Amino acid sequence: MTENSEAKKKPRRKANVGVGQSAPPWPTIIAFLLPAFVLYAVFMVWPLIQSMYFSMYEFKGLSREGFVGLDNFKELFTRYPLNEQLPRAFMHNIAFFVGTMAIQNTMGLLFALLLYGSRKGKRFFQTVYTTPYLISALVVGYLWSLMLNPLFGPVNQILKAIGLDALAHPWLGDPATALPAIILVNAWQWMGFPMLLFAAGLANISEEIREAARMDGATRWQLFRKIELPLLTPVIGIVTVLTFIGNFNAFGIVWSLGGVDGGPAGSTDVLGLVFYRTAFRGGIDAFGLASALAVLMFFFIFGISTIALKKFRKVEDQLT
Amino acid sequence: MKNLKVLVLLALAFTLAFSVVACQPAVEEPAIEEALVEEPVAEESVAEEPVAEEPVAEEPAEEEVAEEPATEEVTVTVWSWRTEDEDAYNEIFDVYEAAHPGVTVEFVPFVATDYNNILATGLTGEGGPDVAQLRAYGGIQPLIEAGQLLPLDGEIESLANFPAGLLKGATALSDGRIYGVPFGVQAFTAFYNVAIFEELGLEEPATWNEFIAVLDALQAADYIAISAPAKDTWMLPLIHDAVAAPRYGSTEFEAEILSGETDFNDPDYVASLGVIQDLQPYFPEDVVGIDYNSSKTLFLTEQAGIFIGGSFEVGFWRNEGPDLNLGVFRIPAPPESITDSVVPGWMDGSFGVNALSDSPDAAKELVNWMGTPEFGQMFTEKIKQLSAIPGMVPTDPLLVEFAELFAETPASYLTLVNFRYGDPSGSTLLGEGIQSMFLGNATPDSVAASMQEGVSQWFTPGE
Amino acid sequence: MSNQIAKKQKFSFADFGVSALLWGYAAVVLLPLMLVLGNTMRTSREIFKNPAGLPTSINFDSYVRAWQEANFSIYFFNSLFITVSAVLLATAVSALAAYILGRYTFFGSKFLLAFFMAGLMLPFRLAIVPLFMMLNNMGLVDSRMGLILVYAATGIPFSIFILAAFFRQLPQELSEAARIDGASEFRIFGQIMLPLVRPALATVTVFQFVPLWNDFFFPLILLRSTEKWTLAVGMTRFFGEFQTDWSTLFAGLVITTLPLIILFLLATKQIIAGLTAGIGK
Repeated sequence: MTENSEAKKKPRRKANVGVGQSAPPWPTIIAFLLPAFVLYAVFMVWPLIQSMYFSMYEFKGLSREGFVGLDNFKELFTRYPLNEQLPRAFMHNIAFFVGTMAIQNTMGLLFALLLYGSRKGKRFFQTVYTTPYLISALVVGYLWSLMLNPLFGPVNQILKAIGLDALAHPWLGDPATALPAIILVNAWQWMGFPMLLFAAGLANISEEIREAARMDGATRWQLFRKIELPLLTPVIGIVTVLTFIGNFNAFGIVWSLGGVDGGPAGSTDVLGLVFYRTAFRGGIDAFGLASALAVLMFFFIFGISTIALKKFRKVEDQLT
Repeated sequence: MKNLKVLVLLALAFTLAFSVVACQPAVEEPAIEEALVEEPVAEESVAEEPVAEEPVAEEPAEEEVAEEPATEEVTVTVWSWRTEDEDAYNEIFDVYEAAHPGVTVEFVPFVATDYNNILATGLTGEGGPDVAQLRAYGGIQPLIEAGQLLPLDGEIESLANFPAGLLKGATALSDGRIYGVPFGVQAFTAFYNVAIFEELGLEEPATWNEFIAVLDALQAADYIAISAPAKDTWMLPLIHDAVAAPRYGSTEFEAEILSGETDFNDPDYVASLGVIQDLQPYFPEDVVGIDYNSSKTLFLTEQAGIFIGGSFEVGFWRNEGPDLNLGVFRIPAPPESITDSVVPGWMDGSFGVNALSDSPDAAKELVNWMGTPEFGQMFTEKIKQLSAIPGMVPTDPLLVEFAELFAETPASYLTLVNFRYGDPSGSTLLGEGIQSMFLGNATPDSVAASMQEGVSQWFTPGE
Repeated sequence: MSNQIAKKQKFSFADFGVSALLWGYAAVVLLPLMLVLGNTMRTSREIFKNPAGLPTSINFDSYVRAWQEANFSIYFFNSLFITVSAVLLATAVSALAAYILGRYTFFGSKFLLAFFMAGLMLPFRLAIVPLFMMLNNMGLVDSRMGLILVYAATGIPFSIFILAAFFRQLPQELSEAARIDGASEFRIFGQIMLPLVRPALATVTVFQFVPLWNDFFFPLILLRSTEKWTLAVGMTRFFGEFQTDWSTLFAGLVITTLPLIILFLLATKQIIAGLTAGIGK
């Protein structure tokens, strides 16, 4: 980065960003916040708080019985095979998150960069790449279980047709490839989302900064590495946190490709599936147990996301 | 920019409108309901009057009082997870409606995978069904425990039509009462493609050796011997029981494990898992990658000679492969079997009455009728499944054969009938275990040990 | 001069690579979708025999069947009414809250932001039982209004998260100038700030709209009368326990997805228009 652009950028960003202004009077603040607060508190938070409360009760079907304290939580870590499935599913979620960051979000950034500027057909490509997101997970699951089917799947047929027989493989039937296959399908569906966010982020970087860098003889890579990437930090932060939340709540796509048990042999089992099985396929006491699991998942996801956001904000501040 | 301003104003106006409207539905909704209910009643009273007047003139006053509520308009709502049977059920209920003037039966099917949640919430509060299709054995217990169903024993005469064994699937563990009228049973054994068997000069095997010889002949002729899915784990316990139940001792073992004389680590049970493992070479390649639908496709397109399946698939074969010439045979008992070969089966489910139903009497009358041979016969004919009422004769010859095989050598589908009362269920553990075994990650010993460990957490022998 | 030519040639070579990549990935996206479209023109029997085969003729029977059997005209209206109302409601209230939370720090502001964001992080499906019980007490079960309010509430965390991030980055001078002119906070918000986050509004609208439009879980449980059902719920009728009418189902899903594609086409235009207008201008 050249001194020129640095000097130009620094004061601008610091002086401009709006946070930290003296806040408007309380009645105004309340007027702005109240509608969202009421709607959200009544229809979302209250039922969730009740679930937390329920996690400390024994249930028989949907009828609440006695208070059992932390027994449901204890049960999660002692009941076989739940005690083995939970840590395994947790590790799969982490793999899912890392894989998605590496593949889906990198691709999103790449395509946002390729499409940046007044490239011909930009809108066409943006629309096409985002189409899979518009389709319900149901169709995506069916579609890709068909595509990857070892008997009739076009993927293997294409591989064989171009002489790559060795690569033809029961992708979803092999514990080693099932989770990677699901990560790819998930990326296929969701790539448009980070792409659009990165596109918005790139458009927010002023043309003067780029121009200044180009004048200083920066290559395309340098421009990206030294200017665009740092300035995209807020967007990267948003994308990372949303990916994290999305992956740790993943359910539909894994269910439709790996089945309710996260097969084969539990190789695609994730927390969302464990939760679903516990809540809706479990025994008579399922509801209390599932509530306990949801509470744990919530605190974990909430904790990590909050820390991550703080970290990103710090990096952002250091940059400006 | 101007557009946006308009949009925002609109949105705010919406918000305001909603906050006003949101306070109203409590008033609004019943008004709509009333309007809906009133109309047909008004129509009905005009239409029914001449009919109602006749008996009044001739019969004693007591009859008249009894007659009045019967001719009153009642709608009985029935919830079900069988979307594919909607037309058939509507035809069946038309017959009931014709015999019960004033009663309308509304059949509402829901997607099977979410039915349990839909029903559990539907039986809470208003607007739920009067009659609900209920899962069997363990599946019905949460609803009973939550007090959402009415007990039917002593209330409904037609329960006497069922053998005691079947009623177990609708009986509460807690109070021993019966909460549903069974509608169907399912049985499980081998379908085979008659044309392929004839082509290769094969016959229905009567012994295990003949069975293996048939499988070898099919493979030698480049057919898949047995089409089976191992991606969907729910089919695997069924296949295990259909093939290997005699090896572990079928009903004898069932009695022993229930009383606590043995458990899943029993060497015979372990050996029965070995039987399935030994059959793997006869299943399609990459069997763990093959889902339920693909396995059916292999059989439907005549790439496989045998499909180990259930009576519930007959309708599917008839619809999708009307030209297929199919037969069924009882799978012979494997070597060292404790008992003779069997056809495992189970009670598929029942219809029960919502404890909060507005018209419990009409609902009970309907489920009572669903326990009569009149319903049973129509059920097996139109839905192409086996009725739970003994003596009902299906029209489809394949189903008739199924019914005969099951009647000759019945057995309980062990894990479904006995080991779905707690979490984890025996079926889940077994399905996962066999899948791992096919992948080479488990042995018969470890699968049996896992089942014993999982089930013993909630199962106490001798109860 | 020669330098310039070399640069130009190099550029066009790179350009070719980029084009190949773009078109290649477009094919990866579109070809599987073609498979779905193809299957809507085949019978269920054909699909079962060869799930990935090509249609033998162009016919729209399954579309007609889906339209008639699934009561599309009623369901479509329900879907549109419920989804549009919920998205408008959520976006409106979220924009207000996100503005204050994104631009000002005051006592409790950080807590409130975290409070709103927490809603992103729970499998909300779990709350279905307490939610159902609460709506039941309020007389909002089997009511479109109940579903709209629930949907709007679920959209708030995401909308606030995105919108607050955008509001946070807007330059300060604009509002200062307006404030000196004596503009009220509402005017600054409505006339100056809101137009500047247009791309974010479009994004938030689309990304709320899509999952709500496709959702069938909540309506299955919260709506009872079939005349209030949405398209997504109507589709579940084609799923059997052992037998699914694939061609009708997928024809239905294609019809269901069309409005989303149209919405998205309009929205990308909005996003791109917002971007080209430039935030600083």
